[in-house]
Amino acid sequence: MSSSPEAAPSQEFLIEETRRYHHFITLALWLAVVTGAEIVLIFLPIPMPVVLTILSLMSAGKFFAVILWFMHLIYDKRLLFWIFVAALMLTFATFSALLALFSVDVLDPKWIA
Amino acid sequence: MSHDSHHDPVACKTELAPERSDLGLIRPDRTTGWTDWLTTVDHKKIGILYGAFAMFYFLVGGVEALAIRTQLARPDNDFITARMYNQLFTMHGTTMIFLGVMPLSAAFFNFLVPLQIGARDVAFPRLNAFSLWTFVFGAFVLNASWLFEFAHLAGWLNSFDWHKALVYTDFAPANGWFSYAPLSGTFGQNGQALRFTGVGTDFWIIGIQVLGIASLAASFNFICTIINMRAKGMTMMRLPVFTWMTLITAILIILAFPAITVALIELMFDRAFGANFFNPSAGGQPVLWQHLFWIFGHPEVYILVLPAMGIVSEILPTFSGKALFGYPIIVFSGAVIGFLGFAVWSHHMFTTGLGPVPTAAFSLLTMAIAVPTGVKIFNWLGTIWGGRVRFTPPMVLSLGFIWMFMCGGFSGVMHSSAPADSQQQDSYFVIAHFHYVLLGGVLLGLMAGLYFWFPKIFGRMPNAPIAYLASGMVILGFNLAFGPMHYLGLAGMPRRTHTYHAGNGWETWNYVATIGAYILGAGVFLAFANLAWTAFKGKKCSSDPWGGRTLEWSLPSPVPEYNFAQAPIVATRDAYFEDRHGGKRIAYENDGGEAGVHMPSQSWMPLVASTGFLFAGFGMPMMAMGVPHAGWIVITGLGVLILGIWLWAVEGPGGYMLKTPAAAGSPAPAETVAH
Amino acid sequence: MSETADAHDAPTSTGIDHKKLIMWLFLASDCMFFGTLISTHLLYRKLYPSGFTDAEGHQRFIQNLFNIELTSFSTFILLMSSFLMALAVSAMHKGEIKSFRRNVLGVIFFGLIFLGCQVFEFTHFYHQGLTIQNSVLGSTFYVLTGTHGTHVAIGVLWLILMYFYSFTGKLGGHMGALDVEVAGLYWHFVDIVWIIIFTAVYLVEYLGPNGFWGTGLPAVTK
Repeated sequence: MSSSPEAAPSQEFLIEETRRYHHFITLALWLAVVTGAEIVLIFLPIPMPVVLTILSLMSAGKFFAVILWFMHLIYDKRLLFWIFVAALMLTFATFSALLALFSVDVLDPKWIA
Repeated sequence: MSHDSHHDPVACKTELAPERSDLGLIRPDRTTGWTDWLTTVDHKKIGILYGAFAMFYFLVGGVEALAIRTQLARPDNDFITARMYNQLFTMHGTTMIFLGVMPLSAAFFNFLVPLQIGARDVAFPRLNAFSLWTFVFGAFVLNASWLFEFAHLAGWLNSFDWHKALVYTDFAPANGWFSYAPLSGTFGQNGQALRFTGVGTDFWIIGIQVLGIASLAASFNFICTIINMRAKGMTMMRLPVFTWMTLITAILIILAFPAITVALIELMFDRAFGANFFNPSAGGQPVLWQHLFWIFGHPEVYILVLPAMGIVSEILPTFSGKALFGYPIIVFSGAVIGFLGFAVWSHHMFTTGLGPVPTAAFSLLTMAIAVPTGVKIFNWLGTIWGGRVRFTPPMVLSLGFIWMFMCGGFSGVMHSSAPADSQQQDSYFVIAHFHYVLLGGVLLGLMAGLYFWFPKIFGRMPNAPIAYLASGMVILGFNLAFGPMHYLGLAGMPRRTHTYHAGNGWETWNYVATIGAYILGAGVFLAFANLAWTAFKGKKCSSDPWGGRTLEWSLPSPVPEYNFAQAPIVATRDAYFEDRHGGKRIAYENDGGEAGVHMPSQSWMPLVASTGFLFAGFGMPMMAMGVPHAGWIVITGLGVLILGIWLWAVEGPGGYMLKTPAAAGSPAPAETVAH
Repeated sequence: MSETADAHDAPTSTGIDHKKLIMWLFLASDCMFFGTLISTHLLYRKLYPSGFTDAEGHQRFIQNLFNIELTSFSTFILLMSSFLMALAVSAMHKGEIKSFRRNVLGVIFFGLIFLGCQVFEFTHFYHQGLTIQNSVLGSTFYVLTGTHGTHVAIGVLWLILMYFYSFTGKLGGHMGALDVEVAGLYWHFVDIVWIIIFTAVYLVEYLGPNGFWGTGLPAVTK
C-alpha cells in the first residue's frame, strides 16, 4: 500500500490515507505526552531500577511507534520489518556484550589465560 | 522524471541520436573506448574493471610479500630497513584484503549475480559505478602513501618547511593491517595530540574509510538486486549457491563495516583534533579499538571466504556431473557461519585478559563455527563422490581449495582453545593459519573462479597446459612457503619481526619458506599472465564449454549488453542443466524482440562524485603533514562529492531501447550485437 | 510516469520498490553505526562516571552541565518534525503537492531549530569547560551528538533540495512520492536515534542524586 496509483487516487486509497492521517495525529500527541512523562519521571522519588525500567520501556515504545506508523512498517511488507529488526537485535546483542566485557574491572592475574 | 527514454529501438548504442539529460548535458550513451569505460553502468564492464584492478593489486601485494620473504630468507639480513619492513607487511595485508580479495570477489558479484538470477542489470546501475570508482580512488589514496614515502627517501621533500617540521617521517602505513591503538593513536595531555606514528596512519585511516564506503554502497545494491530482481520462478531456494553466498557476504558487509567506520572516525578525531578515545594518558582505552576493529574484523574474514566457497560450490557440481550435494544445508551453513561470525570477535583478543567467563564463551562459540564449515566440506566431498570427475584447471584449483582450506580450518580450531591460543598469539603459527585460509582457501577459490568464468566473460579459452602448470606451482609453492611456518611459530618465531639472529633453529625453514614464496609468486604471475593473454588473444570457444548448470551459461559469450534477449522463467534449481538434460525447460517471457530491451543510460556523475573522495583522501593526510592550505583540498573534495551526488539526482535516469536479434518465443538468444 | 519499461519501474520479485528496500538496508546498517557510537559513550560513562575537570581545575559533574529543559525542547521539536514529515509523505501519496510543500517547510524549519539548539548547547558546554580534548567524556559526547547532528544537517539539506525541486514539476506521481517517502524514512530514523540518545545519554544522568552512573572513582583527567 505504499505506492499511489498513477492517475487520480481512488476512493478507497483516499479513505485509507485519511485514516492514516488520524493515526499520525494521535501518535504525535502520544509521543509528546510520553516525552513529557519521561522528563517528570526522572525527578520523582522512585527507586532507580524502577525508573530505569520504565524509561527503557517508554523509549522502546516511542522507537517502535515511530518505525511502525511514521515509517509505515505496519502498512508495508513484512520483509522490511524483519530486515530492520534483525539488524536492531544484532546491534543490541553485540553492544550489550561489549558493555558487559568492559565490566571486568578487577582482573585476577591468574585468570588471564 | 525524465521523458527522454523515448528512442526507437536501435541495434547498437552508437546508432542512438544524441540526447540530453535533465541537466542539458549530452548523455555519454553513444560513446566507445575510454569514455565508454569511464561512464559505463553495465554490470559486466564494471565487473571486468573490478577484476582488472584487483589482479593488479594482487601483484602489488605479492611484490610486497616477496620483499618481506627476501628479508627473512637469511638470519641478520639487512635487505630492507626495519621501518620499510613494517610498512611492507602493513601494506601487504591491507592491499591483499581490501584491494585484492574483496574487489576480486566484487568482480564476480558484479559479473555473475544478475546473470545467475536472470536479470538484465543490478538494481541501481549508477550506484554500482559509484562503488567501483570509489574503490579505485580509495585504493589509489592508500597506495599514494608509497609515493610520498619514496619521495621522502629520495630527498625530494627536504626543501619544504612543513617537511622540516615533521616529527615522524614515515609516510606509508606501518601499524599492521589492524592499526592497533595506542600505536596508531595519540598520547599526551589536553589535546596536544602527540602521535606515535607519522602520516602513514592517516593515509591508512582515510583509505580504509573510502574503501568501506565503496563496499557498503555495493552491498546495499547487491542485496537489493538479489532480493528484488530475480527472474520469474527463481525462488530463493532455487538461487545458485554463488548468489546465495553473495547475499550473505553483502549482509555481513552492511552490518560489520559500520563498526570500523565509527572506529576510524574516532581514531581520526584522536589524531586530527586531539580527542581522547584511545589516548591512554587521558583515560582512553586502547583495547576498545581492538574490540571495535574485531567486531568488524571477524565478519570480514567471512566476507573474504564466503564468495570463494560460493565459487567452489558452482565448480564442483559442474565437473562432477552431479547436482550439489545437500544444497539447502550448504546455504543454511553459509548463513549460520555469517551469523556466528558476529559472535566470536573476542577470540582475537584472548591475551588481553577478558576474564574467565567471556574467554570460555568466545572459545565455545569459535569451536561452534567449525561445525557449519565442516558440514560444507562434507557436502563438497559428497558432491564429488561417485561423480564423473573431469580434472579441468578450475576443478584442480577447487580440489586444492577444499584440501588447503581444511588445513587452515584445523589450525583455526586449535586457536579457539584459549590456552593454546595464548601460546600461538603473535607467532608465525598464526601467519601459517590465516594464509592457509586466505591463500589456500580464498585465492585458490578465486583463481578457480577466474579460470571457470573467463570463457564466459571473454568468450575465449585459457591455455590449459599453462593453467595446470600455474595451478601446480601455486599449490606447491604455497605449501612450501606456509607449511614450515607452523613449525617456525611453534618454535617461537614471532610475527612482524624484521629479522632474527642465527642459532634459533629458524634458518632452514625460513629459507625454504622464501623459496616457496617465490614459486608461489611465479605461479600467480603465470596464471594472471595466462588470463590476461586469454582476454585478448585466447582461442574462441563456445558459449558453454564446461557443461554449466546455471543461467549464465545459457547466454552467448561474450554476454550481450542486455544479458537476456527475453527474460527467462525458471522452473528448477540448476535451470540450464535441467533445460538440456532434465525434463524442466526454461521458458522465456515474450518481451524484448522488436520493441527492444530497456537499457539504463550511462553517466559521468558517479565518477564525478567519487572524485570527491580522491581530493578528500589526499587532503586529510596532507593536513596531518602540515602542508599549507591542505584543508581546502578536503573541503573541495566534500564539495565535489555533494555536487556530484546532486547532479546525479537531478539528471534523471534516462535510458534507451536496444533491439535484440531474437525473434519472439525463440529460446536461444542469437548473435551478440556487433559493435 | 515513464511509459517505457524503466528498470526502476519494473515489478520487483518481492513487490517492494528498490529505493525503499535500499533505504531500509541503509538504515539497518546505520543501526550498527549508531550502536557503536552510543556504546562507546556509555562504556566510558561507566568507566569514568565522575565527569571532567574544567580549565580552572574544578571537578564538574555532567548533571550540573546538562540543561534538561533545552534538551527536552529540542527533543520535542524533533518529534514534531517527524510528525510533519509523515504528513508530507501522506500528502505526496494523495498528490497534494501544495500540502507537501507546507509540511516539508515545517520539517526543515524544525530541523534547523534542532540544529540551532545543538549549536547553542555545544557553545554553552564549551564555555563551561567541556572540550573534545580535555576528557574522554568530551570526546564521546561531542562526537556522538555531533554525528547525529550531521545526520540531521544532511536530512535538512536533502529536504531543502527536494522542496526546490518540487517547483520544477518533476517531483510527482509514483516515483516522486517514493522519493519523498525514502527521504522521510531517513528523517524518521534520525528521530528514533535521538529518542535513544535522549534516554541513554541525557535522562539517565538524572536518576537518583548522582545519576545512573554515580560519581564513582575520581575521573582520569588531564
